[in-house]
Amino acid sequence: MIIKHLKGWALAAILAVSAPVLAQDAPSADEGKKLYEANNCGSCHALDKKVVGPALRGVTDRRSEEWLIQWIRNNEKFRKSGDADANALYEEYGGAAMNIFENLSPLQVQHILEYIKTAPAPVQEKAQTTGVTAEEDNSNSIYILLILVAVFAVVLLVLSKVKNTLLRVAAEQDPETYAEQMNKLPLWKRLLPKKLANMNTTVLSLFITLIIGLPMAGYGYKFSISEVGVQKGYAPEQPIAFSHKLHAGDLQLNCRYCHSTVEESKSASIPALNTCMNCHKGVQLTEKYNGNVSPEIQKIYDALDYDPEAKPGEEFGDNPKPIRWVRIHNLPDHAYFNHSQHVKVGKLECQTCHGPIERMEKVQQWNTLQMGWCIDCHRNAGIDAANNNYYAALHAKAASDLENNGNNSQYFGPDGKVRITPAMNGGLECAKCHY
Amino acid sequence: MKKVNQILLSATLASALLGGCVSRGNDPGWEYAPDMYYSKGYEPYSQADSSALNPYGMSMRTPAVGSVAMGKSDYVYPYENNGAGYELAGAELTMPEGFSDADGRGQYLYDIYCAPCHGAKGNNDGAVFQKAANLKPAWKGYSDPYIQTLPVGKIYHTLTYGKNNMGSHASVLAPLDRWKVINYVKQLSMQSAAAPAASATENAASEMETAN
Repeated sequence: MIIKHLKGWALAAILAVSAPVLAQDAPSADEGKKLYEANNCGSCHALDKKVVGPALRGVTDRRSEEWLIQWIRNNEKFRKSGDADANALYEEYGGAAMNIFENLSPLQVQHILEYIKTAPAPVQEKAQTTGVTAEEDNSNSIYILLILVAVFAVVLLVLSKVKNTLLRVAAEQDPETYAEQMNKLPLWKRLLPKKLANMNTTVLSLFITLIIGLPMAGYGYKFSISEVGVQKGYAPEQPIAFSHKLHAGDLQLNCRYCHSTVEESKSASIPALNTCMNCHKGVQLTEKYNGNVSPEIQKIYDALDYDPEAKPGEEFGDNPKPIRWVRIHNLPDHAYFNHSQHVKVGKLECQTCHGPIERMEKVQQWNTLQMGWCIDCHRNAGIDAANNNYYAALHAKAASDLENNGNNSQYFGPDGKVRITPAMNGGLECAKCHY
Repeated sequence: MKKVNQILLSATLASALLGGCVSRGNDPGWEYAPDMYYSKGYEPYSQADSSALNPYGMSMRTPAVGSVAMGKSDYVYPYENNGAGYELAGAELTMPEGFSDADGRGQYLYDIYCAPCHGAKGNNDGAVFQKAANLKPAWKGYSDPYIQTLPVGKIYHTLTYGKNNMGSHASVLAPLDRWKVINYVKQLSMQSAAAPAASATENAASEMETAN
């Protein structure tokens, strides 16, 4: 009896265990989706678009399941076995071999194929027409308004001149009738308080000059030395709306990733488009732009004459055009500046001069780049002489000389020790930067 | 006295106009001697006028095909950018003779050029991969046996030409620097493999160092 029962239980248990196994034998799209993501198939394939490898939709119609299982699990072995289709595919994609996925069982490959078969087609949204034209350009209408005001002011002046001339002519012919109008004070005098209006005109003018003229002269002076030729705040529109906030801020790319020559060269270098393509070969933001490449990223492709959909090996056309970035930081021709000297030797952070670049959507010139600004730093910044073996003896001598002979406080830091500054190294010599 | 008034009036207007000459937005503002600001001779990144000979107003020329700069002969790379070249590089290329990375430049460069995607420890968890997961390669990280056994020549080939979603880093990494990065990648790879046995980690690292 007990044994009979046990047999029943055992049977039930076997059924219970084998049922999921049986169910697993049928390819499952859900399982396939998980495997597709877990194995990063998406890094080389998309369903509806050629990426590194071919688009996958309809692949089960193009090839037999058996063929696909062999290819996906180990395409190298499959090619060596002499399969003509496999070798043709390898050649078509310029010998870019697919990774080997022997970790996947044939059944798991079937799951993935099932997922590809049943994946929903992308919904084609209606092209957005609103919002693009809605934004009007206000700058023009303001100019038109200003021009109109100016025209009316001129008309008013001319009319009043005409009126005065007519009045004078009339008064010459008939002085008595127009005597009262001729003797009337000019408008601006009538508007002033009586006391001021009766003042001597010369005194009044001097008075006005003092009140208005002096502050204006001060403003003019300040303007001419701090604004003319100084481009602090200059933030021009660039040909590509590249966001430093996104790349250097959110994604935390090191400045040197793009400005790679900053430690070796006078210039920090504008990155070659090659550098953009390190990521933007794959990052196209199609999900944001209704299946199309983002218009800003498309500009990179246009400049390179690159077609992501083209056959492998033929993506790059032969008509590239350089991108004309607008230069922001521009030193006059007669001033020499070297990035490597400041970044590599002086160990300055980029932000010391360029401001919080990693928070700038659009880059603007953060500092004045005036000579006084350079000199300020050359006078005050301390040089890390301690870890400089090359000039160690020289630095030691300078320090001891100053300690023994110098009582000039500018050579001493807040801690009372001798502080070596760029100025002491000749950083104020004219010919260091002007030659 | 009318003169004085007129002068005052025009001065007011002038100062108002001057205020409009401050640089902001697209406007660089006033420059009192543009020929001193913009070099007539070509400087790096100076923007020249376009002409028939220089249609894009560039201050640089594309070097003639095949030209090699003085002292840059190590940039010459014989393998072609295709599957066969990749295999050949894997079979033939080895670390340059007498290679050493005493000052840790490999790690320094890795943190700049590789970590944004592959992560500081090579686990494919850099900020870029976190945001754009579709770029991730099929292998999980440097601990993957695929990377551990990957010949250094193949990695060098990949750094030079790019592979799949990864682009070419030849323009930002000098040849010797590429080897230093590869050396560090292999170190990371061995370290992460030895990580479960904590005591073995240091041995692996020191072994790597002595091996190089």
